Amino acid sequence: MKTILVVDDDKNLRRLYKAELEAEGYKVRLAENGRQAMDLVAEKTPDLVIMDIRMPDMDGLEAMVRVLREHKSVPVILNTAYSCYQDNFLVWAAEGYIIKSADLQPLKNKIREVLGCTAAA
Amino acid sequence: MSDLDSPERLFSSVALERRIAELTILYEVSRALQKTVDEEKALYTILVGVTSGRGLGFNRAFILLIDSDTQYLKGRLAIGPSSTEEASRIWQELRDEHWSLAELLSSLDRSGIKKDLRVNEIVDRFHIPLAEENNSLVRIMRSREACRANNGVFDPHGLPVEERLTELLGIDSFAVAPLYLADRELGVLIADNAITRAPIDVTNLRLLQIYAQAASSAIQNTRLYRELMEKIVVGEQVNLTLRESQHHLLQAERLSTIGKMAALLAHEIRTPLVSIGGFARRMLRSAPPEDPRREEMGIIVSEVHRLEKLVDEVLGYSRISKPEYKPTDINGLIRSVMITMQEELQKGSIRPELDLDSRLPRAEADEALLRQALMNLVSNAIEAMPTGGTLTLATSFDEKYFEIEVTDTGVGINREHWDKLFTPFFTTKTTGTGLGLAIVSQVIENHKGSLRFESIPMKGTSFHIRLALHPEHTIPPDALPNGDSVPREVRP
Repeated sequence: MKTILVVDDDKNLRRLYKAELEAEGYKVRLAENGRQAMDLVAEKTPDLVIMDIRMPDMDGLEAMVRVLREHKSVPVILNTAYSCYQDNFLVWAAEGYIIKSADLQPLKNKIREVLGCTAAA
Repeated sequence: MSDLDSPERLFSSVALERRIAELTILYEVSRALQKTVDEEKALYTILVGVTSGRGLGFNRAFILLIDSDTQYLKGRLAIGPSSTEEASRIWQELRDEHWSLAELLSSLDRSGIKKDLRVNEIVDRFHIPLAEENNSLVRIMRSREACRANNGVFDPHGLPVEERLTELLGIDSFAVAPLYLADRELGVLIADNAITRAPIDVTNLRLLQIYAQAASSAIQNTRLYRELMEKIVVGEQVNLTLRESQHHLLQAERLSTIGKMAALLAHEIRTPLVSIGGFARRMLRSAPPEDPRREEMGIIVSEVHRLEKLVDEVLGYSRISKPEYKPTDINGLIRSVMITMQEELQKGSIRPELDLDSRLPRAEADEALLRQALMNLVSNAIEAMPTGGTLTLATSFDEKYFEIEVTDTGVGINREHWDKLFTPFFTTKTTGTGLGLAIVSQVIENHKGSLRFESIPMKGTSFHIRLALHPEHTIPPDALPNGDSVPREVRP
């Protein structure tokens, strides 16, 4: 079963993503901010990280860069309400950039594409 | 012999009259010159003063000035009749009209400069390098002393007049006065009596010398004036550019504030929207088909979708500052916009009409932004025609620009809203962000184009977008459409 780490400061969204992604057959772990995410990745490397960008303490771009520096093989999908970060060159390091929407289908499609399989394997 | 007729007294009285005449001429000419800011006109006025019977009374006069770029003494302007017949006719005319010198000079303003052909042909042939120090004209200019030639010999130096100079002027007796300022020489003034052959006496020469000094200041004045005007023009351009940049800066600042605010709001709103909509979708998916709450869940899902689109629009607005220009098929773009809007048009009973100039070349534009602008204009037009109507999109072009016209037969825009029409977040509608026209305006401004509209209440509104064509596709003027012969595509 593939493990996905969801990093988001909004607790309702964490709950939504967990429910939706578990329904897709993934094992989901949650982090509230960049620092927690780094700790969790260090503990056990997930197959994929879904990272919010605008978060208190350490933003998602910085967290992504730090995670990638230590765990080069982890793919990261940035998932944000902001479109303006698209101009930031750090975004190029991510596997995907999804604008948050109530319709989770684009995110789910991206996850499948990145993990290179249909749902959990 | 009475006291009154004593030689001393006679001499001083003649001298006094001479002196008064000199001063009068100087006064009148300098007054005329004061009003003259154009160099050509000043030169002409100077020459009129030299040749007028009420002025210095010479037959002909020539002005030669230094060309500082080439370092040549060059003939600039001359005045005088070319023959005895012409001379007597002109002088008779002047006598008949009893003009004073002042009147004659002020008449120049009305009649403008009339060049005497023959003497100006002569003056144009003066072309003396300043390096030729031995040339008599250069020498006299450098010496700053007026000098006369009598029968081919300069008085008082006794130097011979160059043959070439005699040939050019057609006479071997003339007077030369230097034109100079305190710090530099300007040129020379040559005067002669080629028609009457009257001798040039010392008094005439002295008068010419004084006159040349007044003339020099006048020439300098016109030059200073011209330089000043040039500086003023440059200053005005700088000022204009400055004001333009200030406008753009303010606009950019305003937009960047709006952009930041919009992005912030969008983020804040979008996050709870994702939760609301996301959970509603989950509930809807898991609810059995017979669940009566399905419809209400559906309402939540679709309303959240609508709000997300609204947020997109706001984010879209903050994104439009970076256009990417490419040659774009404007007619094609308009057709595709109309296809996209087809459903809305049908729903609103609106008849679309395309009046596209099929010869419109590709134009430099950001297709996505221009599409957004056109969509906004079309949406507005549809909303302006709640009971149906006609929507016309037309294109036209000239050598440099093309124009897109979006015309509806709707309710029109109330005059009191005209000023605020393109202000972000201004709206008269109960729905909408008030960003539609602000986006249009911003897109057109980014394209360095212009946007204008005309609107008649209850008749309709017409928006005109005017943009530069792609430079590579600028067409020669003879290939331009003219009037009604333009081949136009008209599609229902």
